[in-house]
Amino acid sequence: MIAVTTDGRDIDLEVAKLSGEGALQKVRPVDTHMQRVAREWGKLPTPDTSDPTYYGRPVLKEPVWHWAIPLYFYVGGAAGASLVMGSAAQLDRSGELENLMRRCHWAGIIGSALSGAILIYDLGKPSRFHHMLRVFRPTSPMNMGAWILSSVSPSAIVAAMFAQRRGILGAFGEISGVASGLSGLALSTYTGVLIANSAIPVWQESRRVLPILFGASAMASAGSIFDMFFEDRAARRVTYTFGTVGRAAELAASIALERQAGRVPHVARPLHTGASGFLWKTATVMTAGSLLLSVLPGRSRKRRVAAGVMGTLGSIMMRYGIHQAGVASARDPRATFRQQRAGHGAAELD
Amino acid sequence: MPAKGFFTDTTLCIGCKACEVACKQWNQLPDDGFFFTGMSYDNTVALGASTWRHVAFIERPVPLQTQDAGAFSWLFSSDVCKHCARAGCLESCPTGAIVRTEFESVYVQPDVCNGCGYCVVNCPFGVIDRRSDDNRAWKCTLCYDRLREDMQPACAKACPTESIKFGDLDHLRAEARARVEDLHEKGLREAYLYGEDEHSQPGTGGLNAFFLLVDKPEVYNLPPDPVVPTKKAKDAWTSMGVAAAGMALAAVGAVLWGKER
Repeated sequence: MIAVTTDGRDIDLEVAKLSGEGALQKVRPVDTHMQRVAREWGKLPTPDTSDPTYYGRPVLKEPVWHWAIPLYFYVGGAAGASLVMGSAAQLDRSGELENLMRRCHWAGIIGSALSGAILIYDLGKPSRFHHMLRVFRPTSPMNMGAWILSSVSPSAIVAAMFAQRRGILGAFGEISGVASGLSGLALSTYTGVLIANSAIPVWQESRRVLPILFGASAMASAGSIFDMFFEDRAARRVTYTFGTVGRAAELAASIALERQAGRVPHVARPLHTGASGFLWKTATVMTAGSLLLSVLPGRSRKRRVAAGVMGTLGSIMMRYGIHQAGVASARDPRATFRQQRAGHGAAELD
Repeated sequence: MPAKGFFTDTTLCIGCKACEVACKQWNQLPDDGFFFTGMSYDNTVALGASTWRHVAFIERPVPLQTQDAGAFSWLFSSDVCKHCARAGCLESCPTGAIVRTEFESVYVQPDVCNGCGYCVVNCPFGVIDRRSDDNRAWKCTLCYDRLREDMQPACAKACPTESIKFGDLDHLRAEARARVEDLHEKGLREAYLYGEDEHSQPGTGGLNAFFLLVDKPEVYNLPPDPVVPTKKAKDAWTSMGVAAAGMALAAVGAVLWGKER
């Protein structure tokens, strides 16, 4: 009988003894390169325990929206602000602003139709948009947005059909005009609430400014479109004033947003670095440029078109910049950790 | 129906990933591809549309009283959807697809979800995600189908060390507090509960799947002070009111005073 030697594990160590031709070979010591590698491997990873992350992996999921959503923010904003302008033009009883009113209504109709198309494209099929209209949920800004967008087109269409008629139909058209202006106000600003109501640090941190920035940018977008495409003596100064106020407000809100987000410096980082930082900064320069062109004395057609182009680019790039900043913010676990450690998580609600 | 939930005691986890496997099997979730991350033994990386349990492996250059490895300790933690008392995904869902069940768990109705992706940015824990084929949102259901048949969730059933405990929340909380006390007595002073009730995590109103941890939440990739975004929405809605009023004023002003004279 063979004696079984054991080291505590219930196995026969004799079986593990190497024998045979292969077992007799002399093994070369590992070369110096491998020794160096082995030394490196022997070291324990020493992460900074005062500021830990989980292998640098994100805490949050990044926004899953692609290019269509920032484009919707721009188109919806421009459509909404146009309707607001069209609604205000009803105050003028001289009839000189009728062209402006009609154009505003049409901008609203086309813009909201395009917005719906973009959203349905993003969702994949029309029934998916309809799912949002099954319920009315004030806790969900996106649900509110679905209702707002759905109220824009009908009111704008009725306004476009009847606003310039006389009698009861005209009154009906005017009421619809006002309604389209109100839904336009909501359409061009709610998108700010939509992204502010999220766990993404840079969006959540700037929630008090985002709706104002988006609203101001919508005004600038509408003003820029009229700057570029329409030459209407009577309406020119109306759209110019509206657009210029929008550009100034957009610039001011951009600065305010950087400061709000910058209350926790790490949270504002995507606004300064990377693709989002480039988009955001270029957008600010464009908006500032268009504002400068519109306030300098003298209003040649060429200069108005240039201001319009710059204003449009500024508004579009701003929305893509904010979107990309959200993506970068979600990817960075320290943005979440530092925001909440700085007392800007649930603690600031007390 | 009493509220049901998980108490995940990470000090008992041995990193076997039986919970991950049991979850995938019961819920018939596909694999996520096979690749080597180099992140200790964690090749699952994160929770997602096809991964509803995820075991985190943390290698720390820090000693732990209950482990005998010198200036080194290994932490395992099986992460899962927290089924928050105030759930960001549920409150932000524009279709009402995400509902609170009779077990107080948070459940996504797959036939109602429209794939908008809004819940994804509203989860303060980065749990819920869209599946990449038809974009609908998927996450842990707390094995709703099993609960209806008086069975416990697959992960808890499979856990060999009872690191994952399933049961009535009241019961679990009492058990968890006793366990923390017990660990403190044994010298593991670092042990604490993460999100066991509204008091410990006011931002979410408490988690129906809470944890016992022995290091900062960040170490486990958990946010230190999460908040359901809806709680801060008032600021944004107020700002929208200001924006709308300003825009209306600007438009009226532009028409009244801006017209070419």
